[in-house]
Amino acid sequence: MQNTKGLSLEIRLSAYMDGEVSDAERRELEELVAHDDEARRILELLQAGTQFGNKAFEDFLHDPVPLALVRQIKQGTTASPKAERLTATAPSRHSERLWPRALAASVAMLLVGGSTGYILGMANSGPPAVTQVAAARSWLDDIADYHRIYARQEKHLVEVPAAEGEAAIRTWLASSVGVDFTIPQLAKDGLTFEGARLLVAAGKPVAQLMYRNAEGEVFAICFLKSEPIGEQGMLRESMRDDLAMVSWQKSGASYVVVGPSADASLRRLAETVSTDI
Amino acid sequence: MRQATESNEFRRDLVSFLPKLRRFAMTLTRNAADADDLVQEACERAITRSHLWNGEGRLESWIYAMTRNLWIDEIRKRKVRTGGGTVDIADQDELTIEASGEKAVYANQLQKMILSMPEGLASVFVLVNVEGHSYREAATILNIPIGTVMSRLSTARMRLAAMISDTTERRA
Repeated sequence: MQNTKGLSLEIRLSAYMDGEVSDAERRELEELVAHDDEARRILELLQAGTQFGNKAFEDFLHDPVPLALVRQIKQGTTASPKAERLTATAPSRHSERLWPRALAASVAMLLVGGSTGYILGMANSGPPAVTQVAAARSWLDDIADYHRIYARQEKHLVEVPAAEGEAAIRTWLASSVGVDFTIPQLAKDGLTFEGARLLVAAGKPVAQLMYRNAEGEVFAICFLKSEPIGEQGMLRESMRDDLAMVSWQKSGASYVVVGPSADASLRRLAETVSTDI
Repeated sequence: MRQATESNEFRRDLVSFLPKLRRFAMTLTRNAADADDLVQEACERAITRSHLWNGEGRLESWIYAMTRNLWIDEIRKRKVRTGGGTVDIADQDELTIEASGEKAVYANQLQKMILSMPEGLASVFVLVNVEGHSYREAATILNIPIGTVMSRLSTARMRLAAMISDTTERRA
């Protein structure tokens, strides 16, 4: 408890609000507020400022956090968040197999259940990138929400299971979404194709191809028809709570690969998908 | 093996704590770029010193204090670089890094307005009001007297109250 006698009324009432004054002072201040208009006005202002500040600072938790920093902490890698505030790289064509290593790492690392939204690198984006991220965000947010829901469905992960045949799934989704595609074979990356769903995101039909790894973690490839915006083929990474997303645009369609945020090789997986799909 | 597990758990805790750490860093640096650099540095230091964390009290208090100390070091370095000479931070009630410089980047106008409060106010407000630290804990983290915590907190609340009408007018 603090002794606030002799301090300004603002400080005293502020401490009173926090329960940091003694019982005797609390009674004194309550008496004052009950009978003094100015004291009551100050208390109301302090309460209003507190409420306003709480909400405003709560919003800070949705600010961008460099994805590279998250990875660096999880893995102790040498990636530099300073150099990677905005991660946007053209997909490379090489096909090194880092996936098994990443799987081993992800098992050791555990998943993170943080209650936060990391959205990568708005801060340093120039106008074109901002436009692209803004345009893509709504459907990506929808996709993230869908993923959280469906990834927990042990028995009903997909709408159409892989057993119904890849040709049937391709025909169904290509005609529904308006994007021709092939189903990427990701067995070499430790992923088994489980089937597909047809979703609606940002008011448009979206195809969702679902995969599982040996640990039961769910990965998804989603795409929808879209107008070409920004540079084609640029991979963009972002995080939404416990999910990592790598998105890109190509030939009149937008794509995203979604997986657990603890997975270190999601971008490499996205590179594979971007060439195979 | 046990050490590795503990290290992984520490890293996991650190990652889940990142958004809050970044928010706290923002209240110190008052711009996103410096905050990100500070968070990175604080995390690196926390990881290398994780064996010193005894598991008592709140992990965030330990890291917040580390972050605050790193920022004080950074201010000292900048002052030396800009010809201000060395600074005994204990003699300096207010830290002096401009919040609204050209390089400062904010997620929105409201954030800019809040971080433009005089230095030291936002940190105290976040620690006590938003995150529920006691006055004593906040004083320890920020290495300031409890009396300063009290005065900064009441000032921050009154400033924030004044912003309500500003934001209302902006919307109108």
